[in-house]
Amino acid sequence: MRIELISLGHVYPTGDEALKGVDLVIEGTEPVAIIGQNGAGKTTLVKHFNGILRPTSGQVLINGEDINNRSTAQWSRDVGYVFQNPDDQIFLETIRKEFEFGPKQIGMPEEKIKEQMDFVSELCLLKDKLDLHPFDLTLTEKKFCTIGSIIMMDPKVIIFDEPTCGQDVEGNKRLKNIVKTLQDMGKLCITISHDMKFVVENFRHVIVMCKGKVLLDGDSKEVFSQVDKLKQSFVSPPPITRVAQKAGFKETVFNIDEFMREFDNRKEK
Amino acid sequence: MREVVVKVEDLKFRYREGKKRALDGVSFEVFKGEFFCIIGANGSGKSTLCNALVGLVPYYFTGNKKGSVVIDGVDTDNSSIAELSQKIGLVFQNPFNQLSYTASNVAEELAYGLGNHGVPRDEMIKRVEYVAKLMRIDHILHKNPLELSGGQVQRVAFGSTFILEPNILVLDECTTQLDPLGSEEIFDIVKELNKTGITVIMVDHDMERVARCADRIMVLDKGKTVCIDTPDAIFSNPDIVNYNIEAPDYVSICKALKERGYYSGDYKITEEPTVEVVKEALVK
Ligand SMILES: Nc1ncnc2c1ncn2[C@@H]1O[C@H](COP(=O)(O)OP(=O)(O)OP(=O)(O)O)[C@@H](O)[C@H]1O
Ligand SMILES: Nc1ncnc2c1ncn2[C@@H]1O[C@H](COP(=O)(O)OP(=O)(O)OP(=O)(O)O)[C@@H](O)[C@H]1O
Ligand SMILES: [Mg+2]
Ligand SMILES: [Mg+2]
Repeated sequence: MRIELISLGHVYPTGDEALKGVDLVIEGTEPVAIIGQNGAGKTTLVKHFNGILRPTSGQVLINGEDINNRSTAQWSRDVGYVFQNPDDQIFLETIRKEFEFGPKQIGMPEEKIKEQMDFVSELCLLKDKLDLHPFDLTLTEKKFCTIGSIIMMDPKVIIFDEPTCGQDVEGNKRLKNIVKTLQDMGKLCITISHDMKFVVENFRHVIVMCKGKVLLDGDSKEVFSQVDKLKQSFVSPPPITRVAQKAGFKETVFNIDEFMREFDNRKEK
Repeated sequence: MREVVVKVEDLKFRYREGKKRALDGVSFEVFKGEFFCIIGANGSGKSTLCNALVGLVPYYFTGNKKGSVVIDGVDTDNSSIAELSQKIGLVFQNPFNQLSYTASNVAEELAYGLGNHGVPRDEMIKRVEYVAKLMRIDHILHKNPLELSGGQVQRVAFGSTFILEPNILVLDECTTQLDPLGSEEIFDIVKELNKTGITVIMVDHDMERVARCADRIMVLDKGKTVCIDTPDAIFSNPDIVNYNIEAPDYVSICKALKERGYYSGDYKITEEPTVEVVKEALVK
């Protein structure tokens, strides 16, 4: 899949100009992270990828086709968006019903729905919770419920808006596995996150937004080496990276193995 | 003796719809002016405990409650949510649940609770301006709270608790939607407040932050108090992995250096001391 934005602008009916001319190409299956300050326009941006929001100027092309050619319901077969606030998305009385709703809407055959149900409830580790009421779940479980109901529709592009909100160690592993599995299945996964540890662990392609524009777009190592630029968008690198930078390491490192390798390199000199 | 402002004794609670107890034996005390952190896996009962501290359990979330919660000398069973809100304020885990859904703009949203507290109008205006600046939301005061970005909502939610100036502040993972530097900024504000004598009880999954802020930490597991100790003691204990908790990354750096013989001291749990350890190890 290829998503292309050509000087995309969005002004809300209130007059708020959330996007100020974004040019961007996202393609292939390499997972992408979008980061940047509150109000930078991240959520507004991705809501254009399946037409929940429409450009007020500029263009969005999905595999070359203009987003305005089809309705959001039609695009949702290809591009799924998981809302930032789970309560915006959940409305049925069991997780099972939440999972079945989307696929039924798009006329997915019963057989396929069953297959998807097995696969997704396993992937999101909700197998023994399927008959619970979503309101009896913790916030983090609700998040997995909303993630699952989008994957159920089997779209080619899947967008997570702030999936890390308060996940513990196990929850982060579960998310990591979801991102990896989707990539292996040939899907394109785009994730908005404020959790920099999670970002550097799972994404090599990182886009930084600031005040309605793209500030940086590139390989994660390159992006996180530009500390001053990141500051403009209220982002700071994760702890291990910061310690290495403050201790004067030249290479950008993201985990303890990289850290020690770079430590040894410097030690030799 | 330090003054105890929160005392929880053998607290147990099962939600009306719940199959098992969300809290199953929680006991602790918090001293006046303390920065007390609560950590534990997803579903270990942290939010339920926060709700019990401010009276939402059992007055809003009904169920089967045993044991006692005493806030500033008053048992929550003999109080009400309104009365408790004069002493203790909670910033919700999900900021969207904290909105009044009746205020037409952010300024009104911030002032919402002040009316119930009998704060006069000119004082209200002053406080709204002050808090808006502090939370960096002064540019969106005129906006509808339902037309904000996620992080903006969280800043408003934070501000609307903050503005009531509670003596005890309970923070339930209240910065998950904030950009990294914004979140640091807000914690600097909370730490400053704490220095002036405000008691802070904080739930968070960001162990670097917990290590930096906490005087003491309580670990919860399946609704039970596992232990209460200083950050240094908690994070140098290898058993914490059993409770789905990972020590701050600084500990892994110190450990790795120690294994190679470049360092022999205690594990550091905050950034600056770790940087010093690394710099020294480089020249050693
Ligand atoms: N429905 C809306 N009506 C009017 N303005 C809006 C609406 N939704 C968002 N905005 C404004 O548009 C700007 C961009 O918001 P957006 O939600 O895209 O930010 P974001 O980068 O996702 O931020 P966060 O990290 O806080 O979620 C903000 O200034 C916000 O106040
Ligand atoms: N309103 C509710 N009704 C019934 N059960 C609930 C309700 N809220 C929470 N629970 C259950 O109570 C237990 C404790 O949940 P709680 O939200 O307190 O955990 P938590 O430690 O805050 O988790 P997280 O880290 O995911 O926020 C969980 O098993 C959860 O499913
Ligand atoms: Mg957003
Ligand atoms: Mg919680």
